[in-house]
Amino acid sequence: MENQATMSEFDSILASRGVSRRSFMKLCAGVAAAAGLSSLAVPRVAQALEESVIGATSGNLYPVIWIEGASCTGCTESFAQVETPDVASVVLDLISLNYSETLSAAAGHSVEEAKAQTIAAGNYILIYEGAVLEAFDGNALRVAGETGITALVEAAESANAVVAVGSCAVNGGWMAAHPNPAQALGVQQYLKKVGVETPVVNVPGCPVNPEWVMSVLVDVVVMKDMDLLLNRLNDFNMPGDLFNQTIHDNCERRGHFENGEFVYEFGSEEEALGYCLYPVGCKGPQTRSVCGVTLWNNRRSWCVQAGAPCIGCCEANPGNPGDNWVEVNTPFYKRMRDLRIGPFDLQPTTIAVTVTGLVAAALVVHGFGMKASGRMDGGAPFEKIRKWDAKHPEQEIGTYADPVTGGPVLDEELVHKNADPRHND
Amino acid sequence: MTRSVIDPITRIEGHLRVEMEVENGVVADAWVSGGCFRGMELVVQNRTPEDAAQIVERICGVCPVSHAHASSIAGDKAYGITISNNARIIRNLLEGAQFLHSHILWLYNLAALDYVNPLNALSANVDEAYRVALENNLALHSDLNQLYDKLNAFASNGQLSIFSGNWFDADNGEAYKLTPELDLILTSHYLEALKMQARASEVAALLGGKMPHVMTSIPGGNMWVPTESKLDDLLAMCQEIQTWVNDTVLADTVALAGPYAEALTFGKGCGRYIAWGVFEGPDWPYGDDYTEQMVNRYLPMGVLDEKFGVSDVKEDLITEYMGHSWYQGDDTYTSPYFTTDPAFTDYNVDDRYTWVKCPAYDGKPMEAGSMSRIFAAYVRGVPFIKENVDAVLGILGAQPGDLSAFQSTLGRTAIRQIETMYVADLMVEWTKELMEAIKGGDSEYFRAPERTTGEGTGFWEAPRGALYHSEKVKDGKIEGYQIIIPSTWNLAPINSEGEHGPLEQALIGVPVADIEKPINALRTVHSFDPCTACAVHVTERETGKHFETVTSPWGVK
Repeated sequence: MENQATMSEFDSILASRGVSRRSFMKLCAGVAAAAGLSSLAVPRVAQALEESVIGATSGNLYPVIWIEGASCTGCTESFAQVETPDVASVVLDLISLNYSETLSAAAGHSVEEAKAQTIAAGNYILIYEGAVLEAFDGNALRVAGETGITALVEAAESANAVVAVGSCAVNGGWMAAHPNPAQALGVQQYLKKVGVETPVVNVPGCPVNPEWVMSVLVDVVVMKDMDLLLNRLNDFNMPGDLFNQTIHDNCERRGHFENGEFVYEFGSEEEALGYCLYPVGCKGPQTRSVCGVTLWNNRRSWCVQAGAPCIGCCEANPGNPGDNWVEVNTPFYKRMRDLRIGPFDLQPTTIAVTVTGLVAAALVVHGFGMKASGRMDGGAPFEKIRKWDAKHPEQEIGTYADPVTGGPVLDEELVHKNADPRHND
Repeated sequence: MTRSVIDPITRIEGHLRVEMEVENGVVADAWVSGGCFRGMELVVQNRTPEDAAQIVERICGVCPVSHAHASSIAGDKAYGITISNNARIIRNLLEGAQFLHSHILWLYNLAALDYVNPLNALSANVDEAYRVALENNLALHSDLNQLYDKLNAFASNGQLSIFSGNWFDADNGEAYKLTPELDLILTSHYLEALKMQARASEVAALLGGKMPHVMTSIPGGNMWVPTESKLDDLLAMCQEIQTWVNDTVLADTVALAGPYAEALTFGKGCGRYIAWGVFEGPDWPYGDDYTEQMVNRYLPMGVLDEKFGVSDVKEDLITEYMGHSWYQGDDTYTSPYFTTDPAFTDYNVDDRYTWVKCPAYDGKPMEAGSMSRIFAAYVRGVPFIKENVDAVLGILGAQPGDLSAFQSTLGRTAIRQIETMYVADLMVEWTKELMEAIKGGDSEYFRAPERTTGEGTGFWEAPRGALYHSEKVKDGKIEGYQIIIPSTWNLAPINSEGEHGPLEQALIGVPVADIEKPINALRTVHSFDPCTACAVHVTERETGKHFETVTSPWGVK
């Protein structure tokens, strides 16, 4: 037998699981792509995966605690749909999911004990789904006889990092929408308030896209390099590769936008042709995420492909629950007066000047211009006044011209006086 | 008397606590508490019905489609819209995809771990397992040798991941009754189910953009416009799921029923049922006759009394009582009503102990859910349901038509599979129906509002039971919104008459051999497939119990 080629130990492990080397490398490529790494990184990911796969070395699963705060379980649900790799491989071969209210076999004090032991041992990641609720001294959310906020602080203090998944965890999500009856806010803001210094990684979305969660896990659990993750973050502590570009930047219907081919009514002939959804309220131009690239549910589809305008569910300023995606983006099916990226973004012409390279700026010019010229008649009307402006008269920067004949009229002095940088809170 | 508390209840949606008084090994009294208040009804105030349909579906990540649809129907009614036939079929397909997703996930990935012990499969003889599978007609879609090796590798690593702190040793090791071979087979189905529930969600994503939280259903119809390639994909996925479901779910249920026959003897509940009906019927439209519309649904509406006598729902017989919940006052409100004033006091089972309100129909607690729907469909004479219910009754050794044989923890768990099979078949049928409609030139998917002021109620069903959304709209803005979700019915606290809610009643009488791990109580809770973030929740007193998990976070070395 000595003259025969032999399988490596790792290959035989793969074989025992019915996984060919080839499909393993394909998985690695998928993981690398999800992590935003180039294909050059595939061998590195492969090596890291080999070292962490059960059997290759023992007891090597990265402990993870997944807490559901005030959640709908949608993010857990979303994560359970992942196929790169599938969720069974994740929880059996990649991480040790020691606490999950949805997946844990244990219940009651047993599962609480599993969490306590994980916390005591340290060196774990906390994934937090759902909003943090402060109403009724935190009693708006009670789990295992304590308030939700107590459970969050206990688990966050000793974690290597907290991953806030979904827009609710980032800044309260829909629960924070007016009148915010449960006093919802995001994880980062709450932990800062109570002095917990564990780094927070924000991954918004309603729900979160499972591939984005995987890309975060890959840095920490597979690559075992927290810096890889932290270096990806933008000013909102969101992975920049996922949340720096707008939906509009990468939209499959962008060509139709450029051609002035639009859908004016849901389910219409124009929709059958896949035209641009801007006139029916699409928030793609102002919403930053890579939905149109990652796609959803095993890359089956995404909102715009199904004929639904983006409603901006990834919009979430971690420092301000009032700036949740529902408050910012309703009415969903009306055109916004202008672009908005974060709370302080300015009127269109100002954007064009100040945010160089933001292709989306052209949109408003197009939008107003086309409506004026009759190239894009019909569709939902504009808001009468931008909602944020109505609520913040002290920060006005100009007046509105008739939306049909023209956009905002800026007052240079007011612009100068009231133009806030994004992080002046 | 001893108190036994399970908090949190895992493998459900949301936060739920169960507190029980145990006497001579049996639950003598029980209190169910939903632990979260989020205030959905307040958030949609002053927004449009279209926005509301998108916002309210965020109540629940497991059954978002049902909320979007109940809200859309309320909006349709308020706006005076009758949706087009194509929109009806697409909504049915979307809803059906979610039902399949939810039922598969629930049976295998949430409830099954109360009956199946994957770690016991390590003692299995794989050849014997194949023999058992063939003998019992159990589906073999996986390589059991590979699975066995995978489990061995997992176990030899020592970290138990989602099995950390499991209850597999409950009742002195007597609680889990399957042979290692059966555990191995059913574990393979657990893993297949994870893929199948994702496939069902993929169907919802094809129609709705993404799942959870589909994007295309709003008042007026649906935004999705089919293309030939999408329809082909749709049909292929529906057929794949149909095949797996028909091969797997019923045979597995029968395999569980033998070893766990004891669970047929407890967990009955209140014995009265409501179903508002789901999946709009083929003779669309039904004009202004809402009752006609609901009775003609593929799973029809029905209110059932203790003797399975059926009547039509009357909206003003639906009430909600606040006296044992954390809301102001102790009034009883008649639906539709638009008041929500949360007020947390303290967790006290003698006073207020839950965020869940207490709904009643004609003054009585009612059970909602798949069992209620199947009973209503049986009584209303839906052919597929009659045939299959009688077949399962035969397997259980009961007489055809004897629905009372299902009134238990195991019966409630088993009967849901009939619905899964029914919906899996319907999905294929509806896809073909849509293809034919399009071939026939039908291309209408969305209709604009007739008016912008009005009121409407969406009677519908989520996978876990009767769902009610009601809204009052003025000039296109919502002035009042009320939601009664299925788990609110099932998890209701004590009512104004002092009568326990359905789950509380079901828990009373459940045998508890081990108060540290009351596995039969957990099985009973899971049989309802509760979902509480949408209802809301609670707490526990210090029990002083000592507990050792079988694993440490770093594994048993």
